Amino acid sequence: MSGFRPTGGLMDLAESLVDFGKACGADEVEVSIVDGYEFNVDVRLGKIEDLVEAGSRAMGLRIIKDKKTAFASSSDMSRATLRRLVRRAVRRAELANPDPFSGLAPLTPLTIDIPSLELYDPEVPRLDSKTKIALALESERIALRDARITNSYGAGFVTHEASTILVNSNGFRGEYDQTYCGLSLGLQAGGTDDRVEDFWSSSKRFFKDLATPKEVADKAVARTVRQLNPRKIKTQKVPVIFDPTMTSWLLGFLFSCVAGTAIYQKASFLADKLGERIGDEKVTVVDGGLLPRELGTRPFDADGLPSRKTLVMDKGILTHYLCNTYAARKLNCEATGNSSGAGVSPNNFYLEPGTASAEDIIRSTEKGLLLIRALGHGLNPVTGDISRGAFGMWIEGGEIAYPVSEITVSGNLGEVLRDIETVGRDIEFLSPVAGPTVKIREMTVAGT
Amino acid sequence: MKSAAEQVKPMTSPRTGPKPMPYEDHFKISRDDLEKILETALSRGGDFAEIFLEYQLYEFINMEDDIIKETAETVSLGMGIRVLSGDQTGYGYTSDLSLDSIRKTALTAGSVAVSGGRSRAKRPAAGSLEPGGPCHNLYPVLRPSHAASMQAKIRLVREAYLAAQHFDPGIKKVKASYQGSLKHISIVNSEGVNVRDVRPQIRLVCAAIAEKGGERESGYCGGGGRVGLEYFRTRLTPRQIGEEAAREAVNLLEAIDAPAGEMPIVLSPGHSGVLIHEAVGHLLEADFNRKKTSIFWNKMGKKVGSEKVTIYDDPTIPSSRGSYNVDDEGTRPRKTLLVEKGVVKGWLQDRLSARLMKLPLTGHGRRQDYACWPLPRMSNTYIEKGEYAAEEIIQSVKKGFYVDRLQGGQVEDSGKFTFSVSSGFLIEDGKLTAPVKQATLIGSNVDVLKKIEMVGGDLEFGLQTGTCSKEGQDVPVNDGCPTMKISRMTVGGRE
Repeated sequence: MSGFRPTGGLMDLAESLVDFGKACGADEVEVSIVDGYEFNVDVRLGKIEDLVEAGSRAMGLRIIKDKKTAFASSSDMSRATLRRLVRRAVRRAELANPDPFSGLAPLTPLTIDIPSLELYDPEVPRLDSKTKIALALESERIALRDARITNSYGAGFVTHEASTILVNSNGFRGEYDQTYCGLSLGLQAGGTDDRVEDFWSSSKRFFKDLATPKEVADKAVARTVRQLNPRKIKTQKVPVIFDPTMTSWLLGFLFSCVAGTAIYQKASFLADKLGERIGDEKVTVVDGGLLPRELGTRPFDADGLPSRKTLVMDKGILTHYLCNTYAARKLNCEATGNSSGAGVSPNNFYLEPGTASAEDIIRSTEKGLLLIRALGHGLNPVTGDISRGAFGMWIEGGEIAYPVSEITVSGNLGEVLRDIETVGRDIEFLSPVAGPTVKIREMTVAGT
Repeated sequence: MKSAAEQVKPMTSPRTGPKPMPYEDHFKISRDDLEKILETALSRGGDFAEIFLEYQLYEFINMEDDIIKETAETVSLGMGIRVLSGDQTGYGYTSDLSLDSIRKTALTAGSVAVSGGRSRAKRPAAGSLEPGGPCHNLYPVLRPSHAASMQAKIRLVREAYLAAQHFDPGIKKVKASYQGSLKHISIVNSEGVNVRDVRPQIRLVCAAIAEKGGERESGYCGGGGRVGLEYFRTRLTPRQIGEEAAREAVNLLEAIDAPAGEMPIVLSPGHSGVLIHEAVGHLLEADFNRKKTSIFWNKMGKKVGSEKVTIYDDPTIPSSRGSYNVDDEGTRPRKTLLVEKGVVKGWLQDRLSARLMKLPLTGHGRRQDYACWPLPRMSNTYIEKGEYAAEEIIQSVKKGFYVDRLQGGQVEDSGKFTFSVSSGFLIEDGKLTAPVKQATLIGSNVDVLKKIEMVGGDLEFGLQTGTCSKEGQDVPVNDGCPTMKISRMTVGGRE
């Protein structure tokens, strides 16, 4: 039932557009094409709520002429439109200023064996709609058996298949296929005026790696009901334990502060800090582009540079910024296979796990907050300042005492990195940015 | 910043905006074919089918490190087909507008109608799909962005950039960018709706970074809306945008850490409308109430807030970022009363929720693009002005926090919400004193609505650069409010 289409013709199209760009007078041309197919079903209270199936294609273009850059993109894949966009981009490039740092990445041979990265599961396109709908229904049904669950946001099952093609005038020519599937569930517990909510999901490239409907349901129920009957607490400075989903946002924030594009714009508190100690010895952070089966893995980045493993922080020392070709030239450092085109994106960006279990970490805490959910933005890469709405479990005498809500946690990422007391061992790649439970010696928790 | 009163000035030239083009021009699909597609979509049952066509041109100019670093152009063309069967939605979309691909998309969307019975949809009479433009024009554009030269737009970016750079020797880095788009949409449904809209949207933004003694801070400002380039001469100049971004960055270098804990809050007019967007607007979107996930679902007609609070969502404010001539389901939008003197008065409806709740449409069905189905969304949300002068409100606070600039916020259905302040001031003995750095504020909506003690007479709208996210869909919005006082709220500072 797959709507996935063979892409042989698209590689030819990409190559012809590169040639056409050169013929129009461009010095350098890069063309990317993504061909995707999406299935998504949401069920709620035992019924299908919505169902989407669609295929989509899009082209991205970069033109450089006299060191001046123009970009274009289109979902209209007619040859006439694409050629018009190429011609216009060559003309429009004239309007930019010459930029000595512009230009495509030099051709780097791809020695990575793409199948060994295990990005594509042939079972995903073979799953029929009925199976996918049934998995979502089952997960919600299991959760609703729990009497404490009073409403449902529904369960969703999604599959994606995509082919990515990249061709440039320096001779790069690459292509890979990938799959993705996910099962998610959102719940509410409590009455109308004292509601709590949470959700859980599992996202994998391979269907057989996906959590079962029961695993997703059990986790979603447990995470939701533990927040029932929250208390307010007084404003105070206490140790804060980040559960792995919270470590994930902390790392996402760290990523935005080590992104080469933010560094050369001085839009990060970590600008000019390369080689310096910025964190506790227990902190080692890696960007891994080659981990088989993981969601952030890809053979090459949007500049056509091969993926690699980059040590971002080594035992507390800032060792690499994550750069696309442009940022690397501006900063006079290496490109790290993190290009997303004009910007950078994480591959698998993670904190190396330690040895403590989450239970050990909680037991080690006389009084403190286990942070389980956050709300709002409140992250400033320029200063490293953190201030977010929060939900958590209050810890007293090394044990979870009661849930707390309507609080904020605040601090500064620079201080948090230095103040990491324990790194847990419970890392799981639920998303490409991941880490284990971590304990911070002290942050400000504001309440009443 | 301009006040709402100025914003609603009469349209001087209602037809100078980009004229709607017959959809055949962009989409090359005849009226007969559209009717056949609707029939195909309903061939397995279902009680409503709709075709949404979109053709958008978007351009982008980016300046950093003293150069125009790059320009970009994007063409977005595609079609979404939706079939409703009771409370179930089937959706398919495609960027391949060949009849073959469209037919497949229609069948996919129709597959949700599992009943297999005959369609219960009202069919339009043959030939009734006469294309019609919207009957009003909320985009009175004098100098359309798409018709202006790229050089003219580059000049605007440079002006903003240079104004920020020269504002103060402490300014170390500046980034300025321009975004302009023109979106043609065409909506045809099985109930005979057949409308088009052509929506302009432009935005000029500037970010500046100031440095002193190894400390860095950033500032931001921007403007735009459903306007033409004349906006940057008559309403908010690139120079003002650049200088304001730089001023915020420089001022923050002198700012102290925000306080932590519960205290009285005074919100500045304009940007602080984000609070109303998060605390009230989202939870009055009809889908959350139909599904009873919102804390408001059983509170229609009930008093939830202070007498001082009256809230509207108005998609018909001319030129405003959140406005539209028709919503993304072809419904003419209406200014909608949400809360009157503290009493819940209305939901924001899209077609699906209005049908299921058996309530009238309000014209708030919006979607990000053709790959998404519509959801009930906000447009321009604001709190009605009250009677107090801003000074009076500030003077009433002995010790508290003045929210000057807001970045954004988030809410969950239980009513817990946050919003993040990028800069503010301490209030001591009725006066604004030390400038204060960023902090997130958290509260529970019903609680905060009850604690709105004073509402000023100085209603303003925000920066015309806001974007709202819901279920992965982003749409442009605007928020407004007068100076307001909340008796107590938790401030997430550090001290």
